[in-house]
Amino acid sequence: MPVLNLKKREIECKVVYYGPGRCGKTTNLEYTFKTFKKQIAGDMVSINTEGDRTLFFDFLPMELGKIKGCDIRVQLYTVPGQVKYSSTRKLVLKGVDGVVFVADSLKVRREKNMLSLKDLQMNLKEYGMSVFKIPLVLQYNKRDLADEGLPIMSIEQMERDLNRQLKAPSFPCSAVTGEGVGKTLTECLKLTLISLQRQFKWVQ
Amino acid sequence: MGPIKSDMDSESVFSGNLSFFGLGDLIQLIGSLGSTGVLKISSEYAADPGTIYFIKGNPINATASSKTGLDALYSLFGWTQGTFEFWLENVQAEIKIHESRMQLILSGLKMLDDHEIDKLGPITIEEASEDSMVMGVSQPTVKGPLVDYIYVLDEEEFQAGDDIVLEGRHGTWLWVVLEGTIQIVKETPQGRVNIVRIGNGSFVGSIGSFLLGDYVRSASVVAVDKVLLGVLDSHRLSTEFGSLSPELKGILISLDNRLKQATDRAIDYYLNKDPLTKLNQKKLYIGPGDTKEKVVTIKQGRAYVIRRTKEDDVLLANLYQEDFIGPIPFIAMGHEPFSASVYGTKNLMLEEVDMSRIREEYNKLSSTLKNLIENRAACISATSLMVCEFYKRHAMK
Repeated sequence: MPVLNLKKREIECKVVYYGPGRCGKTTNLEYTFKTFKKQIAGDMVSINTEGDRTLFFDFLPMELGKIKGCDIRVQLYTVPGQVKYSSTRKLVLKGVDGVVFVADSLKVRREKNMLSLKDLQMNLKEYGMSVFKIPLVLQYNKRDLADEGLPIMSIEQMERDLNRQLKAPSFPCSAVTGEGVGKTLTECLKLTLISLQRQFKWVQ
Repeated sequence: MGPIKSDMDSESVFSGNLSFFGLGDLIQLIGSLGSTGVLKISSEYAADPGTIYFIKGNPINATASSKTGLDALYSLFGWTQGTFEFWLENVQAEIKIHESRMQLILSGLKMLDDHEIDKLGPITIEEASEDSMVMGVSQPTVKGPLVDYIYVLDEEEFQAGDDIVLEGRHGTWLWVVLEGTIQIVKETPQGRVNIVRIGNGSFVGSIGSFLLGDYVRSASVVAVDKVLLGVLDSHRLSTEFGSLSPELKGILISLDNRLKQATDRAIDYYLNKDPLTKLNQKKLYIGPGDTKEKVVTIKQGRAYVIRRTKEDDVLLANLYQEDFIGPIPFIAMGHEPFSASVYGTKNLMLEEVDMSRIREEYNKLSSTLKNLIENRAACISATSLMVCEFYKRHAMK
């Protein structure tokens, strides 16, 4: 649910990075934080949660311009994967406007990816949202590991595993080098803003 | 008269219930409005409200019980039930908190999920101290909401080790614990068995006393330390109870039965008796997590409240004619549908209860009767934990 802050003439929305533990959600956000320094408001919040860190910062996507004279402020979050962090997950997912699902290209993580996507669907459902309707982008991360000789899945296989029904835009990525990180985020923001304009009924 | 404020400009502008709008949401909202003022958080389980001071949307200090600053703010994340109120006013408090809002929120929630923050509520299981252990199991302590002193007629003091009530004796008193901790004990052929402990705000006595006046005590009660009990105005409570609809009366009596049942099951398992006959001859009525919202009463047959544990199925209570089954919104006893299933005999016949009427009636009850109901439910929940613990010991033998 985007928040229209009339006082600041700002539209605030929330984009969440979801995915199995150690798939590279935090690496995505860390790269974004480093690279788009000018578009970041405030510090990055980093909480050590079991299995993965939970990150948060505010992002001001300049290239998207203003909507109805309002600036856009995007809150970027990662979600802790562990089941026990239900309070955090609830806060993060409540009113989420867009989701980046980060999948791990490593062959051994195949099942973890599918379980995590299922988990995302269940969690969204709990807050009355549908994985089919929410602005969603898939990212196939860790493509660079092929160069190190590690067995990774082909893009076609990952598409079949994860995107057959969703048919969401998807990007190969290597968060460590930054390749694909910006593209993923930009696409997700684009979808988020289109849906946001629809929600406010600014475009039919 | 409202609360006395030194600052004439202060004004309560926003209030509500924490179970709907949590502290994390509140800090975000006040932050995005950039407001300066004081957020007051009240819980039935804390004597004084907690406060968080905001300047231009940022928390700068907090108080909760005896804590201040960051410690206080984090501990307030454990106050998940209660109400809040935001006052717009000039804040003069010392700046003790410098972390960003989201840092505070995400850390607070993480600590809550990691059990680093105590959740304020009716049941606490303290670190096992030797005297509170039963067969190597630490007992839960059940506390009640703040006492409404209008109903307290007299006070009685007991010293550590005193028997306050003896099982099997007749009695009429209904007490509320004002200070100290008491132990609920069952007398068995193998000696006394400790079931649960109850502390401030918990009640001693049975809802049955409203019906019969004089009744047989179902357990003994012993003072653990120096205990101050408030003698409740049972005449007033009986009169109130007498004016209730037969449906609500039935639910409250059934609640009392369920507590007795859970206590008896704990003893069965303690004495190595397995009270559960085979489940395959029974039909499932409510499964785990079932979202059946109907509340029913038993008209014929019997039902069994069963918790599935790692070890096996554990019988928590037998239900009989006129007992209720199902989730009652104001009774959080940790049974069906989330933490137990209900099975019935083949001839089970049920009748639906009109919950909207019951709820309306419940809302009009005196605070003491509401507290008593809430406390009974918490006792059932705590006793059920002990049933499962005793079962584990029994199964290991």
